[in-house]
Amino acid sequence: MTLPNLQDYHRPATAEETIALMQQHGDGAMLVAGGTFVHGLEVRGLLEGVTALIDIGRLGLASIRREPGGILLGATTTLADLAAADFVRGEPAFGAVRDALTYPPPQIRNVGTVGGCVAAAAPLYDLPAALLALDGRVQALGAKGARELPLDGFFRGLFESALAPGELITAIAIPAPPARTTSAFLKLETNANDLAILSVAVRLTLDARGAIGTARVVLGGGVGEAYVRAAAAEAALAGRKADAQAFAAAAEAVAGDFEPVADHRGSAAYRRHIAGVYLRRALTTARERLG
Amino acid sequence: MQKLITLQVNGERHELAVEPDESLLQVLRNRLELVGPKKGCDSGGCGCCSVHVDGRVAYSCMMYAVGAEGREITTIEGIGSPATGLHRLQQAFIDAGAVQCGYCTCGIIMAAKQLLDTVKQPSEDQIRLAIAGNLCRCTGYAKIVDAIKLAAAQT
Repeated sequence: MTLPNLQDYHRPATAEETIALMQQHGDGAMLVAGGTFVHGLEVRGLLEGVTALIDIGRLGLASIRREPGGILLGATTTLADLAAADFVRGEPAFGAVRDALTYPPPQIRNVGTVGGCVAAAAPLYDLPAALLALDGRVQALGAKGARELPLDGFFRGLFESALAPGELITAIAIPAPPARTTSAFLKLETNANDLAILSVAVRLTLDARGAIGTARVVLGGGVGEAYVRAAAAEAALAGRKADAQAFAAAAEAVAGDFEPVADHRGSAAYRRHIAGVYLRRALTTARERLG
Repeated sequence: MQKLITLQVNGERHELAVEPDESLLQVLRNRLELVGPKKGCDSGGCGCCSVHVDGRVAYSCMMYAVGAEGREITTIEGIGSPATGLHRLQQAFIDAGAVQCGYCTCGIIMAAKQLLDTVKQPSEDQIRLAIAGNLCRCTGYAKIVDAIKLAAAQT
């Protein structure tokens, strides 16, 4: 590996020690959890300014806790451990999380972390789209103390998030889903190790009459520098019966929700088309999960 | 500045001085002369470098050696050899003719081993998903899948 200005690799035992190291190294500090994102940046020569790698694997942040208000996912929980959790395997509300975790190969699932893929702030990653659709919140800790930030608005640009300099993610909190909640995630890729050409995460909460009370539609992949909350698609769903007509209306509306990237992996028109097709499929899957 | 670390590899402890940005793959191959794990893409895309870390398969090219301290590392050399007896997966790859150039083989066997460690009689879908993080550019995977089925049948 090649980090020309690296001075040391730290393995702090506490969050306080981690924060002190981040302050000491400023812009030269790079946190490492599973290391897969860091390595991806390193091989592209993007980490030449890094002076300190700070491994947060010993902070005791690998945990999954079910609390009255929801679920707390410790930042260094691996994707494999999350995939094995009962609620992820069995509950329709967490279907999008389950789906998102089927895409990375075992070698990535075993080391990649929940906090790491959120901190990366790259819309090409799968799990954050699902967490965003579930109204997840980031728990962050810095020299000024702890705070909680909604994932909605957290992603500011490519590799840019609402984290302040010197802050680290300690957990992702997912509020307890209301009854009759379901979700799904779908991704277009060319192979098992591919980043999303386009991805869609949806969450529906039905009211007592079976109509859509709350809808979330999140787009990832080549949709710009950050995940997109598809407001027009959500509006096309809200209040309607969760059926094929509503899903078709959302699939039509989503085309106006984003400015697709155009590159060798897909033209803008192709991505816009796929967004509609995948949204309709994801909504259909989510609806079927409620039985 | 080099770091002094202790790595536990294939049941043996090694005291090593490594660069802080050295990958586990570099240390295994260049310092410990364990050349089963291969350097292919060196960026987490091909799976040639796959090893087990605490019993789970991982890309050793994407892991810092310093960060691997305190974990149990297993390479293909640690699961069987002609001298100590081949692992049933290694024997099955020979019997099924699942090797052409051989460059991907060690990584694919390590990926398959995690599957067989957890699922005794995997379906073909489970086998294909288990090796989805590994590329083979010679065989087209058919005989590799056959070999893993053969090894599974021998439990």
